[in-house]
Amino acid sequence: MSVSDLRLFEMRRPADLPDVCAVLAERVSRSEPTVLLAGGTDWLVEQETRPAFAKEAALPLVLDVSRLPALRGITLDGDRLRIGAAATYLDMRRDPAVLARAPMLERMGRDIGAIQIQARGTLGGNLATASPAADGVTALAAYDATLVVHSVRGERRIPFASLQTAYKRSTRAADEVIVAVEIDLPPAGSPWIWRKVGTRRAQSISKVALAGVAVREGDRLTRLGLGMASVAPVTALLSRVRTLATSRPLRDLTAADIDAAVDADVSPIDDIRSTRDYRAHCARSVVRAFLRDLGAPV
Amino acid sequence: MKISFKVNGAARELDAPPLQRLLDALRLVLGLTGTKEGCAEGECGACTVLLDGEPVNACLVPVGQCQGREITTVEGLGAAGHLSPLQRCFIDHGGAQCGICTPGVLISAEHLLRRNPDPDDDAIREALAGNLCRCTGYQRIIESVRAAAVLRRADARDVGDPRDVGDARGARDVSHDRQEAP
Ligand SMILES: Cc1cc2nc3c(=O)[nH]c(=O)nc-3n(C[C@H](O)[C@H](O)[C@H](O)COP(=O)(O)OP(=O)(O)OC[C@H]3O[C@@H](n4cnc5c(N)ncnc54)[C@H](O)[C@@H]3O)c2cc1C
Ligand code: FES
Ligand code: FES
Repeated sequence: MSVSDLRLFEMRRPADLPDVCAVLAERVSRSEPTVLLAGGTDWLVEQETRPAFAKEAALPLVLDVSRLPALRGITLDGDRLRIGAAATYLDMRRDPAVLARAPMLERMGRDIGAIQIQARGTLGGNLATASPAADGVTALAAYDATLVVHSVRGERRIPFASLQTAYKRSTRAADEVIVAVEIDLPPAGSPWIWRKVGTRRAQSISKVALAGVAVREGDRLTRLGLGMASVAPVTALLSRVRTLATSRPLRDLTAADIDAAVDADVSPIDDIRSTRDYRAHCARSVVRAFLRDLGAPV
Repeated sequence: MKISFKVNGAARELDAPPLQRLLDALRLVLGLTGTKEGCAEGECGACTVLLDGEPVNACLVPVGQCQGREITTVEGLGAAGHLSPLQRCFIDHGGAQCGICTPGVLISAEHLLRRNPDPDDDAIREALAGNLCRCTGYQRIIESVRAAAVLRRADARDVGDPRDVGDARGARDVSHDRQEAP
């Protein structure tokens, strides 16, 4: 595939969400390839690196969803934050509700590529590409976000915990459009962490990244959400760490227990960006650092 | 697909394949070769242009998504004979060597200075983090942007809205001790 082949693709700009759902349903039922294009920062790069389409293969139809009003916008309703799937990272970084109530999302957004990528990239694209290194997905995992998807069958809500099934696989059906993500926010001022370990701050894919949000009452955590990138085939939810850290007073947590829980929750590999051992080391130390900030004597 | 949009303030209409890269539409169709291609995958920033005022990599924007939108390329900042203060500072402070990265760097810096007239070095570094340069070592680039910020603030005090300064139609060469080569 080369850049010049891009001119072969057909693109449509659907009028509204029902229109997208209808076209998508019809094409999926006929096994015709279809691409929902948002910021293009994943899809266009993939086109340049993939092998050429076979001569007889049908080229995907591209549906531009980047400016559909139903997929845009960021709204706060009480303690529930809704972010449109086609809102960009830059939209998020500038949104007063995000800044006031979900500062971890703003911090995460700052680490996505560089400003040119933040001005185009979206959570919808990040979720659909579903890389285990995806930063947006990692932050959403920590917030235990809910995906709102639409199809000709109507709306469906997918809690994060039942989204991912295997490497780049999810419970979202092929004809379901990601419309928004919703987050039940912790109280304003709650502690959080965003820590991306990479070769440089901009334009780097993480060796390990940790997203965390917590609610603390006295010496106990009443809510702990964690997401970790690049340590498993899917974004890791660190469920053993969550259970451990909310099961006892913070002062009773030990480094050995935390490390054991992290080790059981992750399954890192050697690859071009890092090694299994270094990733495991980073995973343990960033989790301990967060719990230490929260008051654990580790 | 018929696409109408504004490029550097002028209305343009194209009949182009919708997935053609904005980069190619600018360079090959509209003849605006100021915008450069480096990596073709969003990493280097040589192709940075403003899309509705925000910096984007033109190598990753399909022109079909530009219907009704406004593009600013380096040609829109100023041209030979009436360079913007920002462009002038890159010459005066050694911010450009081979020049391949420069159009993209200028666009990213222009965006920064429009939003933040008095950026500290961290803000400059963050704004330019998506623009790779193989020649300058970056320090001169940062100094150029810092100098441009000072000039623009002085200019804003003297002549009004700083946003007009970087616009070709209102651009003035405020560095008086140099002449453009013909
Ligand atoms: C230089 C560079 C740096 C990057 N840095 C980072 C980084 O630091 N961290 C990171 O996580 N990612 C990074 N990325 C990857 C990418 O920018 C993100 O994954 C981004 O969120 C993708 O969003 P998009 O809107 O551009 O997706 P697109 O490319 O438009 O789409 C990607 C996929 O998602 C599907 N899709 C899009 N929207 C929807 C929807 N609403 N419903 C269903 N499917 C949909 C598309 O069909 C396509 O298959 C980087 C990319 C580049 C080129
Ligand atoms: S050519 Fe577009 S970012 Fe490098
Ligand atoms: S001046 Fe040569 S790449 Fe920057």
